[in-house]
Amino acid sequence: MTNRTDKSIIQARNIEKIYPNGCHALKNVSLDINRGEVVVIIGPSGSGKSTFLRTLNQLETISDGTIHIDEVSLTDRKTNINKVREEVGMVFQSFNLFPHKTALGNVALSPIKVKKKPRAVAEQEGRELLKKVGLAERMNNYPSHLSGGQQQRVAIARALAMHPKIMLFDEPTSALDPEMVGEVLDVMKSLASDGMTMVVVTHEMGFAREVADRVVFMEDGELVFEESPERFFSSDNPRLQRFLGQVL
Amino acid sequence: MEKQSHLLLWKAVFVLIIIGLGFGIYAGSKSIDYTWRWERIPQYIINTEATTVRSPFDGTATIEKGNKLVVTSDYGDDPLVIKKFDNLLVNNGDLVFEGDPLVEVESWNIGPLTWGLVMTLQLSVVSLVFAVVIGLFAGLARISTNPALRYLSVTYIELIRGTPLLVQIFIFYFFIGTVLDLDRFTAGVAALSVFTGAYIAEIVRSGIQSISPGQMEAARSLGMNYVQAMVNVILPQAFKRTLPPMAGQFINLIKDSSLVSVISITDLTKAGREVVSSTFAPFEVWFAVALMYLVLTGGLSWAIQRLEKRLSASD
Ligand SMILES: Nc1ncnc2c1ncn2[C@@H]1O[C@H](COP(=O)(O)OP(=O)(O)OP(=O)(O)O)[C@@H](O)[C@H]1O
Ligand SMILES: [Mg+2]
Repeated sequence: MTNRTDKSIIQARNIEKIYPNGCHALKNVSLDINRGEVVVIIGPSGSGKSTFLRTLNQLETISDGTIHIDEVSLTDRKTNINKVREEVGMVFQSFNLFPHKTALGNVALSPIKVKKKPRAVAEQEGRELLKKVGLAERMNNYPSHLSGGQQQRVAIARALAMHPKIMLFDEPTSALDPEMVGEVLDVMKSLASDGMTMVVVTHEMGFAREVADRVVFMEDGELVFEESPERFFSSDNPRLQRFLGQVL
Repeated sequence: MEKQSHLLLWKAVFVLIIIGLGFGIYAGSKSIDYTWRWERIPQYIINTEATTVRSPFDGTATIEKGNKLVVTSDYGDDPLVIKKFDNLLVNNGDLVFEGDPLVEVESWNIGPLTWGLVMTLQLSVVSLVFAVVIGLFAGLARISTNPALRYLSVTYIELIRGTPLLVQIFIFYFFIGTVLDLDRFTAGVAALSVFTGAYIAEIVRSGIQSISPGQMEAARSLGMNYVQAMVNVILPQAFKRTLPPMAGQFINLIKDSSLVSVISITDLTKAGREVVSSTFAPFEVWFAVALMYLVLTGGLSWAIQRLEKRLSASD
């Protein structure tokens, strides 16, 4: 056995994405991400951050290039994309909790239906996960009876319930009231310190500085710049400077 | 306070209008020289019929305590014991011969209108089940990415919605029924379910499309395949949203089922027509028939409202 921890768990090479309406959203984007690494992607609106993230679990197909997740090619016709998605959790800006299920129901649904776990086992694991994200008291609430921050933490627990190797976050705190941002970032930080491989699109520069191993800057569908946080935020790249000038 | 008294006023207006309408119908019926014979109607819904029990052998009748009639045979057959009867036709100690009437027993008998109601209910329930299945698949095909499925579904929906149900019933009975050798009931059910299925398909389509695409994405990102995501995430939500229009469609189905009386299925409407011709009381019969339809549709409405209440727990 080769020591796989050194190998990239995500290999995205020369990705092109052209939407059916002709919008060229990704232009020759390449990015390798190592096991246990936390990569933060920032960039202006419409720069293709979400599109890139969504190609990593094939919610968007790519027009050209290759993506390997844990050495499995996503562009290979023989790949069972549902199996890959079990390994890649995703957290959305708008939570997308299932409104007809309780918090626990949301977390346990996929383990029961996809992994065919017995309900009792799935629910026991679900309770542990909800406890971990600080929602032990809210397990039987429906999403409509939870605050935004609580909903997003349920969404994180729901993704974790599939025991993914990678977690993708698409602006997880952008839809939250400011006072709730912290509780979600705290959960993400503890996840990072547990060694989870994470790709995070966010405007939270503090989180990028503190947690990221690498920060990536995208603009106009291109990956402009990638660096460690210290070098990233002290860089004098003019396009990055212009963007940081706007958001900071 | 002011609002309240206004509300009360308008409620009073409503009651007055209803009373006025009722009076109008009453006055109208007086002016046309029509004798109302409501008493003739109940027997067509349910009636009692007396059947006579006769002695199977020669013997002696004795009435024992507890009002029990015992006939002991002259030839050693097992004695006949009758515990329940409505009219006694013999006295204690009477000699009876084979074939003599002993007692009358009254039994409940279901009238033709009730049989019609049962037939309407059967037609509606069976058609409903098939219509929902057809509608579900046609609705899913309608939003499929596969053009063949999509065009098939669109063609089906447009064909059915563009032609009258009565014509479809005739086609199903006379053409398809002849080709496939269908009996009346099957042809009627087929016509009703294919017709209603087209409308349910549109309800299913709009219900599914009203669910935010994020739900499908979340389900797929958790590793569910398309079918699992549909069954566990999308359809349960769509089901709740489509209940009100579905209820309307189910009620329409019950009412539309009256049209199959044209192919001689004795449903509630056809039973009504037959009863009219034997009672010569058309007004009463049609009012009674309308009332019986209202009981069906009202019951259904009520059941669906209950279901909606139960499903609203997650709101
Ligand atoms: N489904 C789609 N169909 C067509 N064009 C799309 C689609 N989704 C995104 N785009 C376009 O692709 C480009 C990149 O969009 P994307 O959502 O990836 O940007 P983003 O960096 O995530 O922006 P934001 O910060 O606003 O979320 C934009 O120009 C957008 O208009
Ligand atoms: Mg985005």
